[in-house]
Amino acid sequence: MSHETINLTLKIWRQPNAEVEGRFEEYKLEGVSTHASFLEMLDILNDELIEEGKEPVAFDHDCREGICGMCGMMINGQAHGPDNETTTCQLHMRRFQHNDKITIEPWRATAFPVIKDLVVDRSAFDRIITAGGYVSVNTGNAPDANTIPIPRKDQQKAMDAASCIGCGACVAACKNASAMLFTSAKVSQLALLPHGKSERGERVLKMVAKMDEEKFGSCTNTGECEAACPAGISLDNIARMNREYLKATLCSTES
Amino acid sequence: MNWLIRALSSSLGKKYVMGITGLLLCGFLITHLAGNLLLFVGAEEFNHYAHTLHEQKALLAVAEVGLFVLFVAHLILAVVTTWENKSARKQDYDVNQSKQGTPLLTFFPHNWMWITGVIVLGFILLHLVDFRLGIRNPGPEGEEPFDKAVRLLRDPITFCAYIAGVIVLGFHLSHGFSSAFQSLGLSHPKYNKFIKCAGTSFAVIVAVGFASFPLWAVLFQ
Ligand code: SF4
Ligand code: FES
Repeated sequence: MSHETINLTLKIWRQPNAEVEGRFEEYKLEGVSTHASFLEMLDILNDELIEEGKEPVAFDHDCREGICGMCGMMINGQAHGPDNETTTCQLHMRRFQHNDKITIEPWRATAFPVIKDLVVDRSAFDRIITAGGYVSVNTGNAPDANTIPIPRKDQQKAMDAASCIGCGACVAACKNASAMLFTSAKVSQLALLPHGKSERGERVLKMVAKMDEEKFGSCTNTGECEAACPAGISLDNIARMNREYLKATLCSTES
Repeated sequence: MNWLIRALSSSLGKKYVMGITGLLLCGFLITHLAGNLLLFVGAEEFNHYAHTLHEQKALLAVAEVGLFVLFVAHLILAVVTTWENKSARKQDYDVNQSKQGTPLLTFFPHNWMWITGVIVLGFILLHLVDFRLGIRNPGPEGEEPFDKAVRLLRDPITFCAYIAGVIVLGFHLSHGFSSAFQSLGLSHPKYNKFIKCAGTSFAVIVAVGFASFPLWAVLFQ
């Protein structure tokens, strides 16, 4: 029997800031519409908390349409909740049952320190991009479209890799908190296109070095990242990054 | 040289070495299994093989040192990466739930390769103590290799430990074999299925193959 509204018990990680230890709090929430999104459900909880004079639960969000990658959180031990290729903001309460208990935790990784409650600092990702995730050769004005022919299958693979929204679910879901799915997507999207080719060796060396420096774990080929990724980034990208890195290590001219 | 050290100490470099040493050790397993299968052919053939092998002193020394290096490298990297991966998440989740549909994976604990690796290490140490060093269960002077193998394999502790050891080794290989290819960047939609299948079959062949020796020794000798 499906309900139009459900009652929930929420067990949420509360932590005022990075310096203090956090703990779980339990909240009862009644009459949540099953048409509400997960974030709207948290909005409803926060309204109630504010009315009671309590501190609302801090969580990250921006677009609420699955494209910005801000809204990641661990829902009952699953990154972005139970649906595949879905961000938390696109998850709906109809996926839950009346009287369910839902445990909500922030991403947990040494490289992603908690800022507050469910909000983590993902700027380690930005630093990986800054290390080499761009094309820096000066090519003058933008050339006419179609002057550089790119085979459709390469373009498609590059586009698939480029659909990574940098949400960090791959790190959160990986038992080693590895950032290889993210980094490999960013390495791939450029390595597959002519514009990115000239710097591909240097790029992968720098980005991997940064990734290690940021204290992400390493890949043990468990595949949890791929399953958790809301953008459907495939493990093939990690294999491609492994290849790129091997090639760059053996062939680049650094000393 | 800097580039080599840098590459080998990177997360990806460590995975390459892990994968290559693992695959080379798989190669050793095949030759070892093939040699042991001579036990089933007959005492004379097995003894002949063992004696011929032991006469190749130089070759044997190189092989033993090589194996030792491979093994130690694999082991050290396992310890280092496991430690690094542990410290990449200091606080664990309250609830863990896989998003992969495979029911098998929920049965596998998180640190599966580590646990199976440690058990396999214990098994190999016991195996070396028994066969290579002859410490635990020394046989009479001038015992023929065939008789030695049968005598040791019939020992109850050896029997149980070996059966358990090789089964766990099989589990280790069932992930390790195909994982090594992915780590080396050898992934291709055409061959991925084949590599997975080959890995599983290899794991089963090794586990069943090596488990057959103690079973045979106890049941038929
Ligand atoms: S690879 Fe997927 S899970 Fe990882 S950051 Fe990109 S979109 Fe998120
Ligand atoms: S809020 Fe932008 S992806 Fe969810």
